[in-house]
Order: sequence, then C-alpha cells, then structure tokens
Amino acid sequence: MRIVVAEDLYLLRDGMVRLIEACGHQVVATAATGPETLEALLTWRPDVAVIDVRMPPTQSDEGLRAALAARSELPGLPVFILSQYVEQLYARELLADGAGGIGYFLKESVFDADQFIDALERVAGGGTAMDPAVIAKLLSSGSSNRRLERLTEREHSVLGLMAEGLSNQAIGQRLFLSESAISKYTTSMFGKLGISDDDTNNRRVLAVLTYLNNP
Amino acid sequence: MRQLGSWLARAGVGFVRACVVAAISMLVPALWAAAVALGIWWGAGNPWSWVAPVVLVCGGTLPLSRPVCRMVRFLVTKWTATVIPAGYREAGPVTRMSTGYWWNGFSYERTRRDALLDQKWRVRWRDPANWRDLRFTAIAPLTAGVVASLPPAGVAVAVLGLGQPESAARVVGVLGLVVAFASAPYAWRCVEPVAVRFLRPSPAMALADRVDELTAQRADATVAQAAEIRRIERDLHDGAQARLVGLGLSLATAEKLMETDPDQARTLMREARAGATASLTELRELVQGINPPVLNDRGLVDAVRALALDSPLETAVSADLQLRLDPPIESALYFAIAELLTNAVKHARATLARISITQDDTGIVIDVEDDGRGGVGVRADGGLAGLRRRLAVFDGTLEITSPAGGPTRVRMMVPCES
Repeated sequence: MRIVVAEDLYLLRDGMVRLIEACGHQVVATAATGPETLEALLTWRPDVAVIDVRMPPTQSDEGLRAALAARSELPGLPVFILSQYVEQLYARELLADGAGGIGYFLKESVFDADQFIDALERVAGGGTAMDPAVIAKLLSSGSSNRRLERLTEREHSVLGLMAEGLSNQAIGQRLFLSESAISKYTTSMFGKLGISDDDTNNRRVLAVLTYLNNP
Repeated sequence: MRQLGSWLARAGVGFVRACVVAAISMLVPALWAAAVALGIWWGAGNPWSWVAPVVLVCGGTLPLSRPVCRMVRFLVTKWTATVIPAGYREAGPVTRMSTGYWWNGFSYERTRRDALLDQKWRVRWRDPANWRDLRFTAIAPLTAGVVASLPPAGVAVAVLGLGQPESAARVVGVLGLVVAFASAPYAWRCVEPVAVRFLRPSPAMALADRVDELTAQRADATVAQAAEIRRIERDLHDGAQARLVGLGLSLATAEKLMETDPDQARTLMREARAGATASLTELRELVQGINPPVLNDRGLVDAVRALALDSPLETAVSADLQLRLDPPIESALYFAIAELLTNAVKHARATLARISITQDDTGIVIDVEDDGRGGVGVRADGGLAGLRRRLAVFDGTLEITSPAGGPTRVRMMVPCES
C-alpha cells in the first residue's frame, strides 16, 4: 500500500513510518501541518492516509479538516484518523458522506501492530474501522440506549464489534463462536432494529453506524 | 356607585399615606423649628440661650437622618414595589490576632466587645451614605413633604373655615375640602421619584460595593485555582507517574529475563503495554477535566454538541450561531453545562434534556432544561452555588426554576460583546 503519514510530533511520525515500513508497506509522503497534509493527499492520492487530528498552525482540528476537505475533492479517499482522544461528533462528521473508507482510532491502537495494520488495510479497501472507545460511547449515548434495549446482551456485543468494522468471521474469533452462529445473531438483530442486511461487509458496517448515529 | 366607592377608598388610603409621608419628611424640619422656638423662648437677644438649641439641632439631625431614610425606603417599597438599594457600608469581620488583640479593620482592641463597638462607630461615621441621607432629609420636606401636605392642609383649612360664621371663610373652607379630596389619591406618589432620585447609592458608594464584591471574587478564584492545581498534581502523582514507574520496572525486568526466561519476559512486556494504555486513558480523562480538547478545537457550541452526544440523557442542542468567546468564559460555561447535565442524570433522574444557546445584544444566554423530578434548591455550600460563584467572576448570573415534580429549568447569562 502507498501511505501518507500526517503527524506534527517528529518522534511519533518517525515511529509510525518505521512501524508501517516494517509491516511491508510504503510511506510515500509525510506532513506536519494541516495545509501540508491537504497538499500531500491531493498530490499523492495514497491508498490510505494516517492523519493526526490536532496539528499546527492553529493547534486545533487541522488534520480532521484537511481529511474532510480532501475527501470532498476525492470522494471516498481512505483516511485513517489517529488522535489522543475520540469524539462521537468527529466520527459523525467523518461518516456523514456515507462513502466509507474511514478509520477513527485512539493513538494507542498502534501498540497492537497486527490489529493496527489489519484495520489500516480494511480502511484502504474502502471499509470502515472504529476504535472500541468510539463504539462504546455510541452504544451508551442517550438515544441509542432506548432503541437498543430490545437486544439481548450477546446481540449487543455482536453489534458493537460489527460497528468497529469487523467481519462475521473476525467477530466469531473474538467471541469464540462459529461464523454461522454469528450470522444467526446478526439476522435476528437486523430484524429487531429494522436495518436491511447487506451481503457486503463494508456496506453493512456503514448501515449499522448510520443507524447508531441517527438521533 | 361602585366607581364612587372605589374612588372614596383610594382617596382614603391616599390621605393616610400623604399624612404619613408629610409627617416623616417634616420630622427633621420640626426638630429645627423646635430648636428655634426654644431659643426665642429663652431670649432671642442673648447668644448663650442659643447654645442648647444648636447642640440639639446638630446632635439630632444626623441620628435622625438614617431612620427617616430607612422608613421612606421601606414605605416606597411597600406601596409601589420599587426597591431602592440602601448601600450602607457593612462592618467587616473582627479577628483575633496571635498577640491576643482583636483587629476590626481599623484598630487593635483589647477585647472583642471593644473592637466591635469601635468598628461600629467608625463604619457609621465614615459611611459616605451619611451625606446622601442628610441631603435627602433637606430635600424631602421641600418636595415630597410639601406635596404630601396638601390633603391634610386642605382638611385643616376646611375645618377652620367651615367653623366660621362668615360666608367668605366658608367658601375657603369648601375649597380646602375640594383640594383635599382631589389631591388625596395622588399627593403621596410624589415621594417615589424623589426617593428614587436622591436615596439610591451614589457612584462612589456603588464603586465601593463593587470593590468589595471583586475582592471577594478574587479570593474565591485564588482558592479555586489552588485547589484545582493540587487536584491535578495529586492525579498525576498517583496515576500516570506511578504507572510509568511500573512500566519502567516491567521493561527492566523483561530485559533481564529475555535470555533466561523468554516466556516470562513476553508476559511482562504485554503488561507494560497494558500499563501504557491505562496511563494514556488516565491522562486523557485528566485533560478532559482541565480543558476538553474539542472545546479548544471547535469552541463552545460544538463542544456542547459533543457533550450531548456522550451524555446518557437524550439531549437536544439548539444553537444557531458559531461564537468564539474568551477561553475562560467558554470553559466556565462548558463545565457549568456539564455539571447541570450530570445533576440531571444523578439527582433528577431525568431521561431527556434540552440545551439552547443564544446570543442577544446584552450577552450570551444558555438554557438547560430536563424532565427530571425537580425540587432543586440552591444551598450555600452546594454545587449550584459554586456554579453561580464561578459565573459571577464574569458578571454572569444563574437562575433556576425547579418546582417539585419537575421540570428543572436553568438559565445562565453572561454579558459579552456581540
């Protein structure tokens, strides 16, 4: 994969580049400010871009804005947002265009290199991957609370993992269940919530996130 | 018939009020008149006979002026619901020093009783309100006093005139009665504008009050800031710092065990990774409590939207503006809203909340409403009183209406330039 890394702290940028290259991918460009990030995204059109939210010059959400601006130019450009904190508000803004290719994670997700690269590859393939912290917030917020009370505890945890972007097979591995058992749960869950079940994993994840995001 | 009855009632009430106003405002002039009469009675030619009347006038006017003003203020509030702030200077605290003496803000005294007495007289004597009260006692008889005397004077003329046999005197008497009746419902009202104009605190007194208020707020802010810094230090010391020490220890041990016991080393490294994640989580929560990142990134409105999304309440935010306020005001309002939402969940057991943020020419207005069980009161040491104090630093106000059974509505207003 050709990857752009945007991060203002040298130590973290360098570490990220080394990690990505150690896993056999290519970093084509790095950026340290918001405008640089936008330029790099538009010139290099990478397979996926790893972007920090807070960057100079304003030290506010420059990275997020650059990612959104680039996606309005190049719809569906896969971006993988890494941040010290996650906000549902930002997740909503990223998912708003419904084009997929979105990852939104806490910075410590790089501690587990395998899962990090796995999520990065999913996003590069047009999928959606969310940090468990985002999903936990999403599931516990006021509007979700009421609508999800019809689900059983098991269905609830399957829904959470699905919203993180995992496939049935991956969910089965996490919960130590067979893939067919998971698909049984998802069918009954979708029936209860009134979401149409789609065969492609990417579109299904988006449907779940859209459902959770709608107030 | 009914109209006549109500007019008569108004005239009667007005007559009594006019008499009261006239009597009160004429109290000090009556004292002066009494002194002059005393002097003349003792012998107008002899200068020594005027000593006692002068002492009476000087010693009587000052002590009388404050009760007269208090009474006028009380009556105006009772009759017209116009509240006129008194603005008298309050005595400060009396504290015992390490030497055993008592300090009252002016001098050291041997006993507490002496300190209080000394303070009372000094505060009373130096109060700039004295001058205002004296001025009022001079102005009131000439304005409100004269007008309010019309009805009683008319009645007096009528009584005297109608008692005479001549017809001219009787006509004068009837005229007096007409004047008394016609002016009775209105004559006393003159006291209100006079009191409002001359009894309110002077700019100097208002400034002195403002200085007292600001001094108290500064003390509050300093204490709050020190407590906040102590909390942050404690959280860092017990949390992230301790975890980082643990992390270093795990890594050092893993390094030692790498050759002899690789399995054990791998376990330790996994633990170290978990420790790093945990300390990051702790630091994130700490930062969230000091200055929420989204507030820095996006300003108040989006930060409140983010807060509403994370709240276990179903929260609707309506704000049709994107405003950037001064960071301290933004932060105070953000934490105030956060605290109100937490209260709604914890104490009011609400399920729905509504937040609206608007701006008008005077400042920013924030309404927070929940469907909880209400009955919220402001206790002196409670969270709401703390909120009110923190908003007061920016001249902001907090009003709460919370009938038992709900709903609870809180309105916060902070003046700012639009």
